[in-house]
Amino acid sequence: MSIIIGMINGMITSATPILLAALGGSLTYYAGIFNIAMEGMMLSGAFFAVLGSYYFHSWPIGILFAILGALGMALVFILFAVVLKMDEFITGIGLNLFALGLTTYLLQVVFDVRGMFSSPEIVPVPNIDIPLIENIPVIGDILSGQNLIVYLALIATIAVNYLDFKTRFGLRLRAAGYNRTSLDTSGVSANRVRVWSLILCALLCGLAGAFLSLGVITGFTKGMSAGKGWISLAAVILVSGNPTGIALISLLFGFTDGLGLFMQRSLPSQFTSMVPYVATLVALFFYSIRLKKRQTV
Amino acid sequence: MRRKILVNVVGVLLAFLLGALVLLIQGYNPLEVYFRLFQYSLAPGKIAYTLSNSVPLVLTGLSASVAFASGAINLGQPGQLLIGGLLATVGGLYLHLPPLLMIPALLILSMIGGALWSGVAAVFKYWFNMSEFITTLMLNMIADYFTYWAITYPFFEKNATYPQTPLISKGGWMPEWGNFNSSILVMLLAFLVIWFIVNRATAGYEWRISGQNSLFSRLGGVNISKNYMMVMLLTGALAGLAGGMVVTAGPHRFIKDIGANYAWDGVMIAMVANTDIILTLVYGIFFGILQTGAVGMELITAVPKELIQVLQAVIVLIVVSGRVYFETLFTKLEARRKLKEMVS
Repeated sequence: MSIIIGMINGMITSATPILLAALGGSLTYYAGIFNIAMEGMMLSGAFFAVLGSYYFHSWPIGILFAILGALGMALVFILFAVVLKMDEFITGIGLNLFALGLTTYLLQVVFDVRGMFSSPEIVPVPNIDIPLIENIPVIGDILSGQNLIVYLALIATIAVNYLDFKTRFGLRLRAAGYNRTSLDTSGVSANRVRVWSLILCALLCGLAGAFLSLGVITGFTKGMSAGKGWISLAAVILVSGNPTGIALISLLFGFTDGLGLFMQRSLPSQFTSMVPYVATLVALFFYSIRLKKRQTV
Repeated sequence: MRRKILVNVVGVLLAFLLGALVLLIQGYNPLEVYFRLFQYSLAPGKIAYTLSNSVPLVLTGLSASVAFASGAINLGQPGQLLIGGLLATVGGLYLHLPPLLMIPALLILSMIGGALWSGVAAVFKYWFNMSEFITTLMLNMIADYFTYWAITYPFFEKNATYPQTPLISKGGWMPEWGNFNSSILVMLLAFLVIWFIVNRATAGYEWRISGQNSLFSRLGGVNISKNYMMVMLLTGALAGLAGGMVVTAGPHRFIKDIGANYAWDGVMIAMVANTDIILTLVYGIFFGILQTGAVGMELITAVPKELIQVLQAVIVLIVVSGRVYFETLFTKLEARRKLKEMVS
């Protein structure tokens, strides 16, 4: 039983950063932005989370810094892709590499280390025990005692779903992606909507980053987002941006990650670490098969 | 032409200016830092060394340039480089030939390795219409772990404290004359071949046309899928060759993280060069100068060499956005001029 609980918890832990970043990606997807900068925003968030938590000995400030760090990346994206009208793909790639360079540079300048920084002075984001529920056997072990950001991710899923489909902003958001000229002619600036979607995306990616460096592990490692931003991009594409779909698919990716850990008894760890990436390929495979069938019918 | 050079030079200078600002804030003397940077990489005895450092950058840059220009979003250079390097290493461990045969054999092996890895993505696209943009990215991570496994278990050097293979046999080492490594010749040869294919051969013309307007080229009788396949295999082979060069001209063995950031730098080089083959060579060497000089800069002025990574990304963002900005500006001015002529 404890193995299963462990696997489910592992699944939730590995799904959370992907879910948060993909929710951000969902907003920009609906706004019609080819946003591939989630990786960089997450990485920047992870670094600044450690910076804030280390210097102020407080995790809320860590989270705040994470969001600001990701927001900084979003502002660069806005400057180049929206204001200067540069190709979104090139901006995204450039920004991801900018984030990688900046965080390694700052790691060296601020903490005077190369590769990774960890210290007992970094305050991690706490786990939350929910009264009453925590006493229920099995379910209590899963529903209660998770990291605060896991619960935030859950709230974010509902919030983004609501925002996308039930609010005026969501309508404009989808209009900006669907037909921006008609949105512009109706008197709403499509660019403004796009900027807001990027800002919200940064907020969510910042949280994802904070979860990486203050949640699972306490500390920052060079390039620690390790393709999670790309996986979240794949998740967004697979479900055409639908937040509920994103939640399910993130859990699926989380499950494969947990499966990888489970397989570590019989396989070298290098192979089990490949599992999420292979799973993404498999998911894309089924997605394109389904797409092909729909087109031929 | 002159306009093109102007945009690039002004963009690079602007990026350096921004870098200087950052350095000033941190209390360094930017002039000294930049001077040390270029002094270290461009000193008379150092140029050959700097050039050999830019070999993997130029090769991966060419790979990305050809791919992007042909409309194939091959972002798998990191993985292709690793697999190419691994295959060359394995060949170097088990083959024992005279250098004249050994070196070409290893280079071909590395190209096969790279093409194999890009071929996987190409086949995914060809059979299942899976976007190579994401599959190549996923294959990068898989190649990363796969090579890590290969040098930890089957090809591990006994008694080593770090995951690495034993040295490849001497015949496979790229010859070196003083500071001049023959890998530079391989780079120049690859550049000439690619320049010729892209600018003078029918295949290259078809690739570029497909990249610019796929429908037009198909109506003109271009076999899109065949060309796509060829582009993917060729660009994979180029990235694989970069991996082979890194092994045979560098530490002569496969060490963990041997790919460094070469391949992603190559992608940036292609973007900043706007997929122009000659500009790719120029920027590849320029980034090589920056990266080589970074070591000297850190030694003398204590500015961390990671600064260069930031600077490179800033150069890409500024030059590319500058190009877009100036292009719209020039078309606007042109339109205004024509309008005036019509009015008067």
